[in-house]
Amino acid sequence: MAASGVANSETFKVSTPSDTEIHFTRLFDAPPNLVFEAMSQPEHIKRWWGNLGDGYSVPVCEVDLRVGGKWRFVNRHPKGDAEFYGVYREINRPGRIVFTEIYAPFPDAESVVTATLTEENGKTRLNATSKYPSKQVRDMVLSTGMEKGAATSYDRLDEVSMELLRK
Amino acid sequence: MADQLSTTFAALADPTRRAILARLASGECSVTELAAPFEMSMPAVSKHLRVLERAGLIARGREAQWRPCRLEAAPLKQVAEWTEQYRQMWEQHFDSLELYLQQMKAKEKKHGGKRRGK
Repeated sequence: MAASGVANSETFKVSTPSDTEIHFTRLFDAPPNLVFEAMSQPEHIKRWWGNLGDGYSVPVCEVDLRVGGKWRFVNRHPKGDAEFYGVYREINRPGRIVFTEIYAPFPDAESVVTATLTEENGKTRLNATSKYPSKQVRDMVLSTGMEKGAATSYDRLDEVSMELLRK
Repeated sequence: MADQLSTTFAALADPTRRAILARLASGECSVTELAAPFEMSMPAVSKHLRVLERAGLIARGREAQWRPCRLEAAPLKQVAEWTEQYRQMWEQHFDSLELYLQQMKAKEKKHGGKRRGK
């Protein structure tokens, strides 16, 4: 596939460490506290998540950022809405966060996401592992990329990067 | 392709059907054997099996009486391909985050890092 041209894009890797897990890693050119803030505060989440192009937005983004607190997220994409929700289990700002995640159409298939942010040469490394209740559920989640991945264009991202370069 | 996937998702969405698949992962067996762990009538189990069969997740033997069920791995064997598509989807989200972080950093600098006071 074509490179996106966005900084650190090549550091992003997805793997399947076991039959029931998906693992992500990526570097970001910002300190851990800023990455934590961007990933956990609704006003920020709405800005980057909803910035994938026409038809993408985040109409609902509720975050009660404390242990036992709930979160809920609706990702609007050109083919409809995808709703996710869960509960925070561990919060260790800005280094580590553990939460449960449910994709609304499959309420019995709860996954547990463990994400860590560590400083690496002035940048931040994100490591996130999602653990699913079974291989079947994990595979189902992986296969959702089939429908969404191909549909998005990079045009919007290119626009944003050009804009940033001009500044 | 999308239709096959929808059928596979729908079939996998039910916990009993996932349990049936898990049981079949350890080898083929008869409908009676499959029904044993579930508090469910044979017709109910047969109905689940028909859904799984239509989704291409299991195959039934041709032997008239016994008709053993076995797992058909093909629909579940696309993990490598899926992972790549999944990676592409998330790559866009994280690229978007990276760009947004640069905006946040620029804004902080402008405001003299007041909020984080270094």
